[in-house]
Amino acid sequence: MRGKLKWSTGIATVALVITACSANEVPGENDADDQGGDAGDSNDTSGDDSVRFLIAENFWADWVPYQSTAQSQARLNVHIYDTLLQFPSGELDQPVPSLATEWEQVDATTWEFTLREDVTFHDGTPLDAEDVKASIELASGATGAETVLQTRWVPTTGEVVDDHTVRLVTEEPFASLLNAVRQTPIVSSEDIEAGQDTMAQEPNGTGPFTLVEESETKKTMEANEDYWNGPPEIGELVWEFVADPQTRVSALLAGQADAIDRVPAEQHATIEDEDGFSLVSATASEQVNLWSIPDREPMWDESPELRRAVMLAIDRPALVDSLVMGESVTADSFAPETTLHHTSGSPSYEQDLDEARQLVQEAGAEGLEFELWVASGFLPRAEQVGEAIAANLNEVGLNVRVVPSDVAGLVDDSNSESGTGLLYHLSWSSGGDPDAALGIYATPNRWTAGDETIDQLVAEGKTTTDPQQRAAVYDELQAYLWDELPHIPLYYSDFTVAYSDRVRDLRVLPNYETDFYPASIGE
Amino acid sequence: MLLYTIRRTAQMLVVVLCVVTLVFLLLRIAAGDPARLMNAPDAPDDVIEATRERLGLDEPIYIQYLYFLRDLLGGDLGQSFQGSYSVAQVVFAALPNTAMLAAVTVLVSTVIALALGIGAALTRGSWLDRSVQVYVAFAQSIPSFWLAVVLVLVFAVQLGWLPAVDFTGPSSFVLPVATMAVALTPILIRTIRQSFIETLQQDYIRAARARGIAQRKILLVHTLKVASLPLVTLIGLQSGMILAGSYVVENIFNWPGIGKLAVDALTSRNFPMVQGAVLIAAVTFVLVNFVVDMLYTTLDPRIRLKGAS
Repeated sequence: MRGKLKWSTGIATVALVITACSANEVPGENDADDQGGDAGDSNDTSGDDSVRFLIAENFWADWVPYQSTAQSQARLNVHIYDTLLQFPSGELDQPVPSLATEWEQVDATTWEFTLREDVTFHDGTPLDAEDVKASIELASGATGAETVLQTRWVPTTGEVVDDHTVRLVTEEPFASLLNAVRQTPIVSSEDIEAGQDTMAQEPNGTGPFTLVEESETKKTMEANEDYWNGPPEIGELVWEFVADPQTRVSALLAGQADAIDRVPAEQHATIEDEDGFSLVSATASEQVNLWSIPDREPMWDESPELRRAVMLAIDRPALVDSLVMGESVTADSFAPETTLHHTSGSPSYEQDLDEARQLVQEAGAEGLEFELWVASGFLPRAEQVGEAIAANLNEVGLNVRVVPSDVAGLVDDSNSESGTGLLYHLSWSSGGDPDAALGIYATPNRWTAGDETIDQLVAEGKTTTDPQQRAAVYDELQAYLWDELPHIPLYYSDFTVAYSDRVRDLRVLPNYETDFYPASIGE
Repeated sequence: MLLYTIRRTAQMLVVVLCVVTLVFLLLRIAAGDPARLMNAPDAPDDVIEATRERLGLDEPIYIQYLYFLRDLLGGDLGQSFQGSYSVAQVVFAALPNTAMLAAVTVLVSTVIALALGIGAALTRGSWLDRSVQVYVAFAQSIPSFWLAVVLVLVFAVQLGWLPAVDFTGPSSFVLPVATMAVALTPILIRTIRQSFIETLQQDYIRAARARGIAQRKILLVHTLKVASLPLVTLIGLQSGMILAGSYVVENIFNWPGIGKLAVDALTSRNFPMVQGAVLIAAVTFVLVNFVVDMLYTTLDPRIRLKGAS
């Protein structure tokens, strides 16, 4: 009896210790200020006004504005910062006021914006024209400081007309100005003056939410009760990176998350069949290509026959219908069909194994060995897509090896001078603007071989403001790319978010913005 | 004993240093360039270079390593590449979660293994013995990641009895512990069963029976104590497997421990965070084995540790 009692007592003691610890332990949570935190309620989505959103992309970047194009960071930014204009419909010709209430083009290189007067930053500082001037000048590269965002701009200076009126003067005519404005968060001029470290530590925007806690994989925001457009109904918004798609789905269905992104196509039916859950997609907005790296394989760079053979060998509609399960559209251009001035290429490059085989022979590429890299866990069923493509290519006389990796490994191999891959299965999202969609194929992008025609047409499209002339430029550029095939366009991928019905009016835009403002919640 | 402790401590330090050095070098040589990853594909070279400088990756590897060792000796595990978190704070916040998961797994697995192993040994050839052996074969063949998903779908999604993910309270332990226990118990059961069978055949057990000592006392005092020696050895050896298993289980269950921290950090090539997580895992592993060695002398006074006075 004493023996049993000892065992029972021991087990009960351990259980009590665990219970006590579990109520107080800190699960890798760090307060923005003191690195502390509390696990007890950190994952509780049952709070009346708390929403937990699990995302597939890690938080690669930090809060320094204009130095990243990471999707995860851009999606956070739109909740912390405001921009001058918004495009809530996703259509680039339908801007609506945000920080700017009015705007007009004064001449070919000058735009004037009238600012809202009742706006303050999260630290209480009022917004004025100096903030807009400092933000745009830094973002566009006009200050001389290099930024990542400057590739979406031409150098632009600001002129303060009065406290709430600012003129933006571009170095040359700039057709994508309104879209560039949309991508440029307005930061306090005092923060910009204080430097990058200040901005990295404490994001201080005018947006509907404020950052209150963050860790490596989790960002917690609270409603900005003083928001100029009215406080959000969602009181607390938690963004959390969860890599495993099945874990995200399980958390949603078990009620431990309110929304998840990049829902695998094979899970759509499961979620739709469950009561209380919905799916929302940005359709065909992400360009998925087999991207090639210049100078890796001279034959690829020099032989249009080889590139054409690869295009003709791949059964692209089968990838879309079978492997990606219809959550994509077969590519007919180098810009997604949701892009302004998109045009379909000709020929359609339907699979023709005989012609592909013949082209491989003409190129002298029979038995050519190369690596095709795919990243698991991000694009839907990437490994299966890679294997299917390799099977197609091997059928026409090439010798392709699929190399599975994580996203970071793939990006790194493509960047490294000692990289071993030739083709990389990756996507590029651009939100509908043709300069963003097609500029990726121009110098100085690492994917390009310095093609002067592409560089010239991209530059021309950026600075041609007449809509018809601009459409003609992009038409020519897309036709040139479709003929040259510097990369192999596969399909335009969907981006799907699943959410519980307690979240209402959630909005997913073609650029993957997932807007929790002005969404509401309720049981 | 003091001499032994000093010698073992030195050995442990060498092991830990080798592990962190290997991880440091592998990350720098094989894991690529975090600065490229953190920036857009069309980011200007100046921006990339500035990022490298900010992360301290612009120095030669041996200089980076010397800085790393200098900071480590000062108790500083560095700063995260993402944000400006202290690696030590993040790692030590995650460590108790992994330790608790591992401790409960060992406890539950040991209790199950003792019950089934002893039961099978005492009833060799019976239906119980055969059933236990079927369980052992079955459990050994189940992949942990598959079992975890099935358990979540049944008990969290369909039945709604338990949390699917996260560490929100005692009920959160059930599914991850069950997953890891299924992986750990087979080898423990087999070892206990075999050890018990061999011990029960020893002369001193027969002598004890002949002296009329109660069967329960023979089992609990004489047999269990001797049979527990290989069990303790095995748990020490398996601590590595438990730590490695936690990497898989923590990610599936979104458990905020060292394993998830390391994997998440690796996906973003957050070198300092990976190094910190591996360092703590290595220290934990060698300490557990040190404690196991110490337990030998308690369990079996005949054993003298080499080098102990």
